[in-house]
Amino acid sequence: MSGIHDIEWEKLLKEFSKSVDKSINKLEERDIDNLPGAKEALIARLTAMRDYFPQNNGELFIKSINEKIQNTFFPKTKDLGDAFELILKSRSHDQDFIINELINGFISSRSKAMASNVQGTVIDRLVEAFSKGPDFQIVDHQFYAMFSDPNKARKYVKESLQTLVDLFGLEAKELVVEKDKRKSEQKIYTFYTFPEKILEILEGDYVDTDEELGEKRISEKFDKTVFISLFLANLSVHRDDLKKIGGVYTVNGISSIFALIILLSFLPKLDIDEINPILRDPTYNPEKMSVIPKSWMMKEILLDLLEPIIKIVAYRLGGGEWLKAIETSEIKKKIHNQIRFLIKDVNKWILGELCRVDIPIFVEIGAIFAEVIVETSSED
Amino acid sequence: MVREKWTDILARYMTYLSHMTPILKETKRTIQDMSLEVLMDVKIFDKIRMDEEKRLVKKVRALSEFSAYYRGEIFENIKDFIYKYSENLNPIDIKDYLIEFFDECIQALETLTNITNPDQKKLNTTYLYLLYKYLEERLLPLGKNFEEIFSKMRKTSENWYECQRFMIMPHTFYRETVDNPDFFEIPGVSPRLYQIFNNITSLYNLDPNYYPCPENSEMEIPVILIDDVFEAFIDNVAHAEKEAIEKICERLGLRVLDNIFLAPKYDFIDILIKHNFLRENKQTDGKIRLVPQFSNETLILSYVTFISFRRGFLSKELINWVSMTFAFIIFNTVLKSRLNEHNIFYPIFTDLKTQEKVIPYLMKLLCFNNYLRLDRMKIRDSVQYRKEIFNFAGSSIDCIKQLILDLSVYLNEIEKKKKEGV
Repeated sequence: MSGIHDIEWEKLLKEFSKSVDKSINKLEERDIDNLPGAKEALIARLTAMRDYFPQNNGELFIKSINEKIQNTFFPKTKDLGDAFELILKSRSHDQDFIINELINGFISSRSKAMASNVQGTVIDRLVEAFSKGPDFQIVDHQFYAMFSDPNKARKYVKESLQTLVDLFGLEAKELVVEKDKRKSEQKIYTFYTFPEKILEILEGDYVDTDEELGEKRISEKFDKTVFISLFLANLSVHRDDLKKIGGVYTVNGISSIFALIILLSFLPKLDIDEINPILRDPTYNPEKMSVIPKSWMMKEILLDLLEPIIKIVAYRLGGGEWLKAIETSEIKKKIHNQIRFLIKDVNKWILGELCRVDIPIFVEIGAIFAEVIVETSSED
Repeated sequence: MVREKWTDILARYMTYLSHMTPILKETKRTIQDMSLEVLMDVKIFDKIRMDEEKRLVKKVRALSEFSAYYRGEIFENIKDFIYKYSENLNPIDIKDYLIEFFDECIQALETLTNITNPDQKKLNTTYLYLLYKYLEERLLPLGKNFEEIFSKMRKTSENWYECQRFMIMPHTFYRETVDNPDFFEIPGVSPRLYQIFNNITSLYNLDPNYYPCPENSEMEIPVILIDDVFEAFIDNVAHAEKEAIEKICERLGLRVLDNIFLAPKYDFIDILIKHNFLRENKQTDGKIRLVPQFSNETLILSYVTFISFRRGFLSKELINWVSMTFAFIIFNTVLKSRLNEHNIFYPIFTDLKTQEKVIPYLMKLLCFNNYLRLDRMKIRDSVQYRKEIFNFAGSSIDCIKQLILDLSVYLNEIEKKKKEGV
């Protein structure tokens, strides 16, 4: 990284410290937690974040983003196949759920602009289309039947198909029929499928090929995570070309999602009293969940915390160009609003307490922080 | 006048099923009678098919088209199976497998055909009634009042919350009007409405204000600002919902106070306290403050309860979606319990062309008084609409898959009991 970049990095770290300070001050003024010690635990954690994160040139951030987030969801490679394989390998049931919620939320908010009737279900329906279509591909007509809104002209559906195809990096193949049965005119069918390299990786576990008929069929394991992995792989490979990945909207969305993952990883777990009714609630699973302070969800605190981390993530993932994209204020506002929605989908409210499902990525990032704190305190 | 009596709809439901069974039986007999050499020469199937299609049988066009499709699919699947396994399996094994597949399908069709009877005799022993009751208990229980249904719902939500949520969110939500002039009509929940419910839950947990309870001056109830709920929606995208907030509140057990606050209804407060969603906190001034501690399920279950309690007032979309969910689960349960997952004919049953011939009538049957008690006249008959909703029904969620699995175990138990009874 050049000297100019280092100055930028230092600026971002300083901005982060300032924002955490602001959040601590606001937190000291108000308390919305009803668990004893929750506010104190959050203040202690934020103070530790303010003190340790900027140390050693932001080593903690670099480790969390470069080693954990990049390797798991956004590999630094130019090869689509490698990127896809790495992302697919990191899947686990709970992780799938949360990442799906995050990315699905992001994709639906993006799709809202292009096909309002498919909001929230785009990926589910694409999976369905691939499972029902012949030879692991979807035909444009099938797409129109599944996604079109009777109140809108076909033109919009065509545009939205193209946007989805770009978003996921699907490949188009054309079949020209010289004379169709109905009008005896030439007809062009467009089929969409996964890129060849990706198909090779999917073969076996997710897609089977019928040796005799040569047809590909999806297996039980094929689900929306395959799409999400493709979506992330496509973005990470083309990260330098904003046009190819959907512009500032995508940059803001992806950076916000990863910033949220970082923030959630660092929040302290709370000890709950053994007579707390939440422990008797059937939806609470103490092995997989932990109660976290809800004070951080206050608008005043969350937006202050999230913004500098979004910028840090953008800078680490896409350098100056991505950082510049975060500055676009109107889009930024929209995306941040979306993220405020997503937090509620990712976390669970159980009897008024905010519960985080401890997925591997949260645990791994959280462990980096714990390690540094232990090391530093033993040095002291 | 459309004929919508039980016997009429049952007859329609049986029409296609009664055409499918003989085709399977005939084909099974043909395979049984074939020598192994002839069986392995797949061209024979094209010939048999052509001969069958040439046979002059007087039928209505739709039926003969469906029969041709059905027979065609069966033969194609047999050919594929023989192609695929001719090198790895002995011809005798291939034949055995095929006969086994046929037997399973015939059993499935027999169960579907005998799912109930025209005069609803011995209702308590019919498959449809028993399977429906199993689902009703878990997804849409009945009760004397709102409280009783809510308590039942809360118990079953431990395992089936995802299914309950799925059932109130019709895929065709964009046809719903949230601000219907009919105050009593209950529409399905759109993704945006769901976000609003989530926002209300979060705001109650994060930042409630307290307001003297209009019905009881000794009590302070939690309220939130309507504006806060809609603040996150940019570009007025939730304008319609904001305008209809009173109607939305009614369905959630909430009410609007002073035109700016959202508060729980007086009747709902007791239910919330009973289920730990409100905690009583005695203040120094002697008043009792009700502190909210909502879960994700709180408002959704309230909505489902409302639907169950006032099922006579559901919107057209919701009636179609709820009955489709029940019919889809029952149809797939029968398939699951009768067919092995490797059965080569399984895809024919799950194909839209077959589903659309059976499920719509099953939906209507399920709307009768002994079942869902919904307005069956609102079940749509349009092919385009069926395509739309069944396509989505196929991508069922994990929770529905589990429910189908559990229900198929229950179906086998019923079967066993029936046999023992005989």
